[in-house]
Amino acid sequence: MYDIVIRNGLVVDGEGAAGIRADVAIQNGRIAAIGNLPGEARQTIDASGRVVAPGFIDPHTHFDAQLLWDGQARPALEHGVTSVIPGNCSLSLAPLRAADRQKVVGMFQQIEEMPAVAFTEKYAKWTWEGFAGYCETIAPDLAINVAPLVGHSLIRLWVMGEDSQQRAATADEITAMQVLLRQCLNEGAIGLSTSFVDVDDKARPVPSRFAEFAELDALCAVLGEDGGRMLQVVPEFYDVDITIARVDQLAELSVRHGIPTTFSPVFDSTATPTAATRILARVAEQFARGARVWPQMQTRPIDISFSLLNPSLFLARLPRWVRTLRLPLDERMAALDDAETRAVLIRDAGPDGGEATFGRLVVRGGDRAPAAYVGRRVVDIARERGQGCAEAIIDISRENGLDVAFLAANGGHHLTDRIGPMLANPLVHIGASDGGAHLSSFSTYGDTGYLFSEFVRKSGDFTLEAAVKKITADTADIWGLKDRGRLKPGYAADIVVFDADTIDRLEERPVHDVPGDGMRYIRSSTGVDVVLVNGEVAWAHGAYTDARSGAICG
Amino acid sequence: MLSAHRRFVTPQTNETIEALAARALPGEPLDAAIDRIKSYNMHIFVMRRPAGLLLGSDVVFVEPPLQ
Repeated sequence: MYDIVIRNGLVVDGEGAAGIRADVAIQNGRIAAIGNLPGEARQTIDASGRVVAPGFIDPHTHFDAQLLWDGQARPALEHGVTSVIPGNCSLSLAPLRAADRQKVVGMFQQIEEMPAVAFTEKYAKWTWEGFAGYCETIAPDLAINVAPLVGHSLIRLWVMGEDSQQRAATADEITAMQVLLRQCLNEGAIGLSTSFVDVDDKARPVPSRFAEFAELDALCAVLGEDGGRMLQVVPEFYDVDITIARVDQLAELSVRHGIPTTFSPVFDSTATPTAATRILARVAEQFARGARVWPQMQTRPIDISFSLLNPSLFLARLPRWVRTLRLPLDERMAALDDAETRAVLIRDAGPDGGEATFGRLVVRGGDRAPAAYVGRRVVDIARERGQGCAEAIIDISRENGLDVAFLAANGGHHLTDRIGPMLANPLVHIGASDGGAHLSSFSTYGDTGYLFSEFVRKSGDFTLEAAVKKITADTADIWGLKDRGRLKPGYAADIVVFDADTIDRLEERPVHDVPGDGMRYIRSSTGVDVVLVNGEVAWAHGAYTDARSGAICG
Repeated sequence: MLSAHRRFVTPQTNETIEALAARALPGEPLDAAIDRIKSYNMHIFVMRRPAGLLLGSDVVFVEPPLQ
């Protein structure tokens, strides 16, 4: 008798083959058989009219912290995501000495927009220092599979301490980093991540940026020792020439050490319309010479929200705004009331009173947004108030306890007729969700549903089977994830049952479920009926279950 | 065969902008070489970071954009 049989679904195997009507049997967490299976099962799931596919794999997340208090990685799981890769962009939560914890929390706060309070002992039980300890800490509560990267900045910080943000490493230090990386790989890390672009909460470049190429080369030699583990990189994505230079560097490392590499993000922008195509052309040249340099591209348009309750990505080019928003609430309110500070902020926003920066934003509505403003453009509201746009943003916020959210919608990467063909490029890796990060700027969930609604049903850039392949078997192959990403006997029973006609992401909405009463934006799913992780039902018909069948995997 | 791309170097250990300019643009007067390197690399010399700080991971272009 099988544990579970999923009956009568359209089985899409993840390899791109046309779907077939069949049953899928599960035993001991693995796929036992696929076909016409009349035998009995302890549990039967009726998938009539539904697609049965491998669980989706999200290769670019920052769930490192969230997994400490939420082993389901909500709401990723309900979108059909059964495996996530945290630890991207040089940042992980191990290996990390107790004395350095606040330094790394500051990096997560600055780079990934995560509240520092969520990292305090009240929510995150800091029981570990080494990589194995982190994995052991999160493992018991996992409902989703986790294939973690180890961050280069953490490796460097462990070996060099404060000097990791001051200088190049010595030969002995590089050797020590190699030993530590090897240990992390043995303890569960599936690869290494690094960053060429990020700064910490004091605006200092993160440790990985102080590494000379020889250091990265030495670490990649370790990645190459055991069949070729992944190197993930965040490059200077705002500049096409630098990104192409990074593609060339990654290609060199890939060929020299026999490793796969990936970089993220690649955005399409109408401001630089040839940038993404130039990058992809270089990637194709490097693949042709044997390198593996996978560009990650997200499916969703860039939508950024912010309020003056928190610093935001949107304000990254306005450092005095960011510094003001970092003040404690009472001091922040006082600063925004202070004529001199207001004048400086308004001046920083631009000679047009901030119209170019803020004018096209729309009041999306926080808890206290005036109803008369919701859904309207800031430039129109500002004119009505007889103010410039920056002044209006400040005053509308002050008048309402700062709890008014503004939305910059379709800020790039939003033209489906351009994005679709790029996503369908076989050398493009769908990813870069940033799940678990940028909590108060945008929802990092639902990219998979959006792939089906926008690029399968609407634009037709993908067939159903090709879309499934792109976020299952392709991802597993790129990352070397064993026994995942396919519906085949013997593979892990990570399975999503969904309605091909309705699977989608729902509207972005704020929720207050971050430890310390923090806010984040999320999107719920629609059209996803059942999600199984390692053979247990983790999500069914709109509700999470108590299953904790997720695993550290690789 | 790779197509032409904008040439770059990476800093050597403890290398200053002066030393990098002399290495990357030999035969050029030093002041002119420094000015050129700075003008090609606004991402390093205009971005917020301690003055003159070159990072080991920096991409430093040694010629202007090709297109």
